[in-house]
Amino acid sequence: MGLKILLVDDEQEFIETLSERLQMRDLDSHAVFDGKTALAQVQSHPPQVMIIDLKMPGMDGIQVLKQVKQTHPCIRVIILTGHGSEQDRKICMDLGASAYFQKPVDIDELNAAIRQRSGNGPPNPSGTDDFNHSFDTGCRRT
Amino acid sequence: MISLQRLKPAFWNHADDSGNYSGLNLKRKWKLIVLLTSILALSPLIIMTLVDFNLTRRTIETESNTRMINSLHTLAGIMAASLAQNPSTDRAHVLWQDAFHQLNTGSDNDLFLVDATGHLVTPSFHYDRKNGQATLDTRLFTQTDGIVDWQTPDGTAVLAGYARIPGTPLTLVQLRQADWLKDLWLKPRLKLLWFLCVSIVLILLSIMGMATYLVGRIHASERRRIEALHHEEHANRLASIGRLASGVAHEINNPLDIINQKTGLMIDLLTLGKEKSPDQRLLPLAEDALEAVKRCGTITRQLLGFARHMEPSVEPVDIEEVISQVLALVETDAHHRNIAVQVSPIPAVPGFECDRSSLLQIFLNLAENAITAMASKGILTIDVSRGKADQVTITVSDTGKGISPEDLPKIFEPFYSSRNDRWGAGLGLAITYGLIQEMGGDITVKSIVGKGTRFVLTLPVKAARPPASDGALHLPGSGIPVASNSKNIPQGAMHVTKQK
Repeated sequence: MGLKILLVDDEQEFIETLSERLQMRDLDSHAVFDGKTALAQVQSHPPQVMIIDLKMPGMDGIQVLKQVKQTHPCIRVIILTGHGSEQDRKICMDLGASAYFQKPVDIDELNAAIRQRSGNGPPNPSGTDDFNHSFDTGCRRT
Repeated sequence: MISLQRLKPAFWNHADDSGNYSGLNLKRKWKLIVLLTSILALSPLIIMTLVDFNLTRRTIETESNTRMINSLHTLAGIMAASLAQNPSTDRAHVLWQDAFHQLNTGSDNDLFLVDATGHLVTPSFHYDRKNGQATLDTRLFTQTDGIVDWQTPDGTAVLAGYARIPGTPLTLVQLRQADWLKDLWLKPRLKLLWFLCVSIVLILLSIMGMATYLVGRIHASERRRIEALHHEEHANRLASIGRLASGVAHEINNPLDIINQKTGLMIDLLTLGKEKSPDQRLLPLAEDALEAVKRCGTITRQLLGFARHMEPSVEPVDIEEVISQVLALVETDAHHRNIAVQVSPIPAVPGFECDRSSLLQIFLNLAENAITAMASKGILTIDVSRGKADQVTITVSDTGKGISPEDLPKIFEPFYSSRNDRWGAGLGLAITYGLIQEMGGDITVKSIVGKGTRFVLTLPVKAARPPASDGALHLPGSGIPVASNSKNIPQGAMHVTKQK
């Protein structure tokens, strides 16, 4: 099985379908429906990549992102939201999110973003990626 | 008539429309001010003149009466002295004739003698010697002297002065026409009256001028206030449309992505899955659905883009993107009216920056204006080109009804509207003009009635300054300079340029 992915979104129909589609693309994805469960899951079975919705009841996406980055800085976080504004994007990128998608999202773009920089996907031509590669590798070692 | 029209203050005809916004009827206010001030200023003047008039008349009357009595007394004294030496009727007659000539008598200045019984001793212009007694006033025989008003038998109003000749039964009577005094006081008074009339006219004119000026100022500030209100209302409306649009877009995005993923999963199952497709049509159908989802996604992104940037700020702007956003908003309207929208290829304008929401509003106003001008059927053309090195020229033209040469100079004025509906407040182009001015740009318009209208915008590539930073409104007043050049511009076209 491929990368371990944790999907967090309160929209159950959506996230389960997305999870299933990612599984079909050889990714070990698992969906949870709120921030608390997601954090618990991160503690017990830390994934390599997380896909988080911003607007959720209880703990919102930004809070989840913050906590994950505090405890597990090497987990890559992709934000996927229907409510994104430019401001939200900036906040998330500043907090360490590696990508930001607005719904409706194209599965191939999302797939590429998951595999990008993780070493499993096709090699990225952009020069900046070398840094992330080494960063990711460094993360795995600790 | 033309000069009269020009003299008419601006608020006179606007009393109905702009007056209604503020609840002020300026025409009535003007009339009230003029009336009250006129009464206050003119009444003391008129009263004083009347008082002076009466006073002078009375003074002159009293004076001349005294003089008449005095001269009669003098005559009576002379006669008395003469008659004392030779008391006879003949002597009296001679004396009367002397006095008669001396006083230069005539029908308007009669002099005669009566005796104590009322018989005329000498002839008179007004009285018979025989039956004069019956018609004479009895005061003549009972009192020694005085002045009375009476009427002679032939109907003349006279002023009668009489004096008893001492030592005789005779009374000297002088009759003068009642209005002989008028000549004495009326002529100088008439000069005064003339002067009064001139000053009344001058005062009235200055009051009217002042009232016009003041009410004109009120009218102007009232208009500015209403313009500001409308501007705000317009901006608010746009902002709330933006909020609504972004709210709807956000809420639609979630279910849209469910459709997206479910359809995607269907395609995945059909392509990646192991099972064979039960029907060959399923895959293209699912792909069509996915295509529709993509279109919806584009629309919601455009709506979000419209809602964004409501705060004025200078930023790099992609003109093409702004135009496509505006077209997305007016497309439905244009489609319903059977209007074709043509956008020629837009050249890249690197480094173009301005306030995005202002540019959006300018395009939206011009596009709406063009669509309104074409009731049904027509072509809306938008063309962007690089003018001079640091300028972008944008042309928005329609094939609508056009604007008549008389109306052309007015279209950028606030409250000018060819429409009469509620939304046609006549501010769309005024606001557009203001926004373009804020950007340091320029707008010109050419129009041919029946053929169409063309707006040409020139915007600087680099924004001049942060727009609307002082919160002030830059709406054009009536001072938009209009230059007409019959050589370069087709007939019925005007060129409205920015005020330098």
